[in-house]
Amino acid sequence: MKPDNLTVLSEFLHKRENIDPARVTPEALLEELKVDSLMLLELLFEFEDRLGVKIPQDIPRPKTVGDLLGIVDKVAAGHGV
Amino acid sequence: MASARRVAVTGLGLVNPFGGDLSDFFGRMLRGESAIRLFTREDEVTKPLAVPAVRCANFDADAELGQSLSYTMDRYSQLGTAAAFSAWRDAGLPRTKDAPRNDWGVSWGTALGGTLTFEKGYFDMLRNGRERVPPLSVVLGMSNAAASHISIQLGLGASSATYSVACASSAVAIGEVLQKIRSGEATLMVVGGSEAPLSYGVVRAWEAMRILALGDEASAARACRPFSSDRQGLVLGEGAGAMILEDWDHAVRRGARIYAEFAGCGSTSDHEHLVRPSVDGQMRAMRMAIHDGGLAPDEIDYINAHGTATREGDPIEIAAIRGVFGSRSTAVAVSATKSMHGHMLGATGVIEAIITVLSLASQEAPPTAYLDDVDCECAGVRHITGGPLRASLRAALSNSFAFGGSNTVLAFRAAH
Repeated sequence: MKPDNLTVLSEFLHKRENIDPARVTPEALLEELKVDSLMLLELLFEFEDRLGVKIPQDIPRPKTVGDLLGIVDKVAAGHGV
Repeated sequence: MASARRVAVTGLGLVNPFGGDLSDFFGRMLRGESAIRLFTREDEVTKPLAVPAVRCANFDADAELGQSLSYTMDRYSQLGTAAAFSAWRDAGLPRTKDAPRNDWGVSWGTALGGTLTFEKGYFDMLRNGRERVPPLSVVLGMSNAAASHISIQLGLGASSATYSVACASSAVAIGEVLQKIRSGEATLMVVGGSEAPLSYGVVRAWEAMRILALGDEASAARACRPFSSDRQGLVLGEGAGAMILEDWDHAVRRGARIYAEFAGCGSTSDHEHLVRPSVDGQMRAMRMAIHDGGLAPDEIDYINAHGTATREGDPIEIAAIRGVFGSRSTAVAVSATKSMHGHMLGATGVIEAIITVLSLASQEAPPTAYLDDVDCECAGVRHITGGPLRASLRAALSNSFAFGGSNTVLAFRAAH
């Protein structure tokens, strides 16, 4: 079974920044999880690769984990952001 | 007008192929120990590669820098930042960003920048059929990435500049800060260079110029033999070096150890040919460095030569040295340490400057390794062979002569 998107995110942050997966909740602020503008690009790239989708360039800048996963879910479901 | 400030060398750091510290590296240089080994690559995408080269095989970027930092860097930046950290520690400087350091900066050299990042991107797109490359590719590959990381990590608010002048890159980076410190524009500068040139395409490109030394596992260590009658070309190497240069009075006030004085610099252009060096251009650079340093030619006791071991280049450099020093040439000690650490392109100038500074500080200069039979075209100077030269060394030059005809010579004076 493929991991869900929250797990993908928490594993990425754990591997890269040694962040405790328990901190990666939908309410958590990305900034507090060390996700800066460069890392956000990497995350979007990672999700695009895993889900085989193209996330549009003009998405709103997500502030929380939930914002980011919401964008990914919408794109994966074939909806606009 | 206040008299110009003097410039002290107060910290040295490097990432070198032996894997040990500065003193271990210099000890091996004095003993004439080569770091050159047979470098092989047998990826499925390439025809097998096997050339003598120098690799920093033990360098662990994650351990040196932390994974979250090393991940955002091409190998050339990893090597460079680790060398800069090492020089910073060596200079006894604290790792705090609290102090305002807007008159401290970084001046860096690299010939090729993030060539491994470029190569990976091309492989992914052209071989593996991917239509895109990872989003950090730009910031990994850019040629000022190493300088930028050093500036950010050490909190340096003065200029952060990168010089790409082929094989003279880091020598130029060092030379360019002399006026900044003399004038008072900068108080302290982290200078140096880094190179990670062992990508498949880069090695093949140098091979195509027919100037790479050949060898197998047994002979690789002695593949690079500058000034030797049987020399056969250069050996590519990866590595990084950094120096802390600072206003002499500032160094004295903070009780820093001063290795040597960075006394002068001379930069010229041959303006003749892309790859054939010119005696005149090199002589002018050496004379300029000596004059700029307030030195007399008679005070130069050691020259760390550019000495790449090409058929064409070595005799021209010796002719230039003879032209500058005249009848005293036979008393000027000369060695080409590329025979041991290889040609680190944009990093080679600083590695050789570090060796030159340590030679003045220890009053011992390393030999040219494997120089058993000096070519008659390279005779007329005091070649150091076999082992170290122990002598009174008052001042020394470090020569860097790049493809394109750019020459930079750095002059250092013993601190004692």
